[in-house]
Amino acid sequence: MLSPYTVLDLTDHRGELTAMMLGDMGADVIKVEPPDGSPSRRLAPFLEDAPKPEQSLNFFSYNRNKRGITLDLHAEPGRRTLLTLVGKADFFIESAEPGEMASLGLGFDELRKRNPRLVYVAITAYGQDGPYSGFAANDLTLAAMGGPMSLQGHPNRPPVRITVPQVWLQTSAEAAVGAMTAHALMVRTGEAQFVDVSAQTAMVWTMLHGMAAHAIQGFDINRGGSDLQLGATKVPVVFECADGYVVMINVGSTMVKFVHWLVEDGIVPEEWIEGEDWPTYERRFLQDMPVTYPLEETVEATRRYVRNYTKRELLERGLREDITIAPVSTTEDLTRFRQLEERGFWLQAPLPDGREMPAPGLFARLTETPMGVRCWAPSLGQHNGEILGGILGLSSGEIAEATGSERA
Amino acid sequence: MTEQLPFDGLKVADFSWVGVGPITAKYLADHGATVVRVETEGRPDILRIAGPFKDGVPGPNRSHFYGDFNASKYGLTLDLKNQAGLDVACRLIEWADVYIESFTAGTMSALGIGYERARELNPDILMVSTCLMGQTGSARSFAGYGFHAGAIAGYYEITGWPDLPPDGPWTAYTDTVSPRFIAALVMAALDHRRRTGRGQHIDAAQMEMGLQFLAPQIIDYNASGRLVSRNGNRSDTAAPHGAYPCAGDDQWCAIAVDTEQQWDGLRRAMGDPAWAGDDRFQAVAGRLAHHGKIDEHLKQWTSDKTAQEVMQLLQAHGVPSGVVQRSSDLLQDPQLAHRNLYHYLDHPEMGNIPYTGHQFRIQGYDSGPRSPAPLLGQHNEFVLKELLGMTDEDMIEAVIAGAIA
Repeated sequence: MLSPYTVLDLTDHRGELTAMMLGDMGADVIKVEPPDGSPSRRLAPFLEDAPKPEQSLNFFSYNRNKRGITLDLHAEPGRRTLLTLVGKADFFIESAEPGEMASLGLGFDELRKRNPRLVYVAITAYGQDGPYSGFAANDLTLAAMGGPMSLQGHPNRPPVRITVPQVWLQTSAEAAVGAMTAHALMVRTGEAQFVDVSAQTAMVWTMLHGMAAHAIQGFDINRGGSDLQLGATKVPVVFECADGYVVMINVGSTMVKFVHWLVEDGIVPEEWIEGEDWPTYERRFLQDMPVTYPLEETVEATRRYVRNYTKRELLERGLREDITIAPVSTTEDLTRFRQLEERGFWLQAPLPDGREMPAPGLFARLTETPMGVRCWAPSLGQHNGEILGGILGLSSGEIAEATGSERA
Repeated sequence: MTEQLPFDGLKVADFSWVGVGPITAKYLADHGATVVRVETEGRPDILRIAGPFKDGVPGPNRSHFYGDFNASKYGLTLDLKNQAGLDVACRLIEWADVYIESFTAGTMSALGIGYERARELNPDILMVSTCLMGQTGSARSFAGYGFHAGAIAGYYEITGWPDLPPDGPWTAYTDTVSPRFIAALVMAALDHRRRTGRGQHIDAAQMEMGLQFLAPQIIDYNASGRLVSRNGNRSDTAAPHGAYPCAGDDQWCAIAVDTEQQWDGLRRAMGDPAWAGDDRFQAVAGRLAHHGKIDEHLKQWTSDKTAQEVMQLLQAHGVPSGVVQRSSDLLQDPQLAHRNLYHYLDHPEMGNIPYTGHQFRIQGYDSGPRSPAPLLGQHNEFVLKELLGMTDEDMIEAVIAGAIA
């Protein structure tokens, strides 16, 4: 899809997924790392627990479909080389602090002189300017400032984040939308574009109906454990089963068929089947209209049923009979979920330690321009010769200078 | 100079519902496309009957769960089980550049407007089908919400406290992930179509998009057998790392110290208390080992200050910190105001209310939302006459035949 385009990726873990998405969609991505590597090479988990630049599974996961070079942007030869590459690029993506690229002479105003059709994407915590733009931030503090934390966690404990950091991934995926939107505008106007992506606002959008709730209903939503909260309505959705937990929303169409399971096991009397118009239960319940069996009773019946079965039993029978019951999967459960195998989702990834392991695959199927993996994450400076020598025609001495290697 | 928008002139038939599809189409609408959101009056989008409702009063045109995802669009109601309704749907597909649907796999084909038919009507159509598990595979009919996909993907397991049942991420988590991937795909596929004249069909499984954000942990499990689980706010590599109670009712400030420099900053911000001078706390390994003890002290320091005071004090010393903000805080947040995140628009039933805008800003234009969400069927006549070019006679005939419902 994007095969005519070249992307320069100067990001770290705050934006590497952005460039990877463009790469997955066909763009030629050149990852530009500092001489000591992207900071994401120092992020866990590590293969064999060895914190080495080539062993980070974080770096490995978000840098496929990229070729990798190193450039020392704190010295003139490295900057000069980058500017030459900018002349050949369509997208430039960075995740430095506001003003940092400009202080190196590599800000948008400089780059657009080199390339008047460049799409420049800047990813930061709070945006390029404004009262909080200088704030120190990370995954936890942005989950707080963007709002979702206020809605997560048990009411008697502090609010929580999602344990596996999500903020920069949400933000990176959003930045890919920003990049493509700006590209569409560039095609129209022929002019370079600047995209200012804010992680805080990306987190605001993860609140969904919580974003503007106070202005609509006059009060905030507060964290309530796993209960589904809509306006003043609270619906339990997590149920303990024989070997863990499952998620069921049993006010909805689920009950139309599930009520038969309840009757079958003697959890509720047979009159439950006819005693309620289950297909319309959800609509009546949500709008505070009368129902025969109040929510507390359906929830209690569900609790008593579910605890007798395993996650797998509930999922499998649900799949056969069209009842939506979702296991609370561990990673182990997930890797055994047949659907993903049937769709060929898993890719065999050649890990840096020489083994092959299944890795999450591409994010969609397309009929005309299927996505694929052309290469896995590069080792540090893997393509210095190919790109700096082969494409830019630099001599080995010039390459050494530009990359800041000791031979300079 | 008139403002040029990235998707001026683009035509989108939005047959989707609930979260993922409508949010995806909203990107295009806010950035200039003409988007027609198709619903059925007898069975409107479930979000229209889910709160929050304006002033707590339920009603199909009073839900902002629906509203915030459907700004800048036109509203059309069609009965797709009626031939005349289906005929209008076909005209809409002929009109459109992009056709988005998010029903259970196979639903649109069963109605007679699957991809094959859409391509007959409009050979270069770009069609998006998105559902939880994708268009193929034995679980393709698994019909549910982002709660379910989030649970199967693993997000419930990793949100909450180790000694309690899972709390799960707030609401339908994969609905927060998927629209970003699909919107980027649609825009890339449109660029491809502009260059080659060829449309295509995109099959986007919300589960598979959700798994992109867990990739390192999944590969790690395959390589080492290590399982990740929920751990409150703790981190394996940073301490202190948590939400700390502040003055007021249920007020919190998140503090997360990544580096030695930030630890020194925290000590200075607190006035260098004796407890923090403990040598064991100087390196991160020691702070991780004694996290509970540090938490006790830190809590005492934060609990008599407002969350804003704690954040401002710590930020003055370069310590990552942030108030745990609720909707009411966000609506007054000076940084979000600076970015013009909330757009106040006049909705016919809900009055002047905030619509949440965009997470990226592109220099030179305002990215919307451009108009409030449509009332159920609000633009029926406009869509049929102005967009689809139906004559008065055609329109009346279609209405009499039961197309509009």
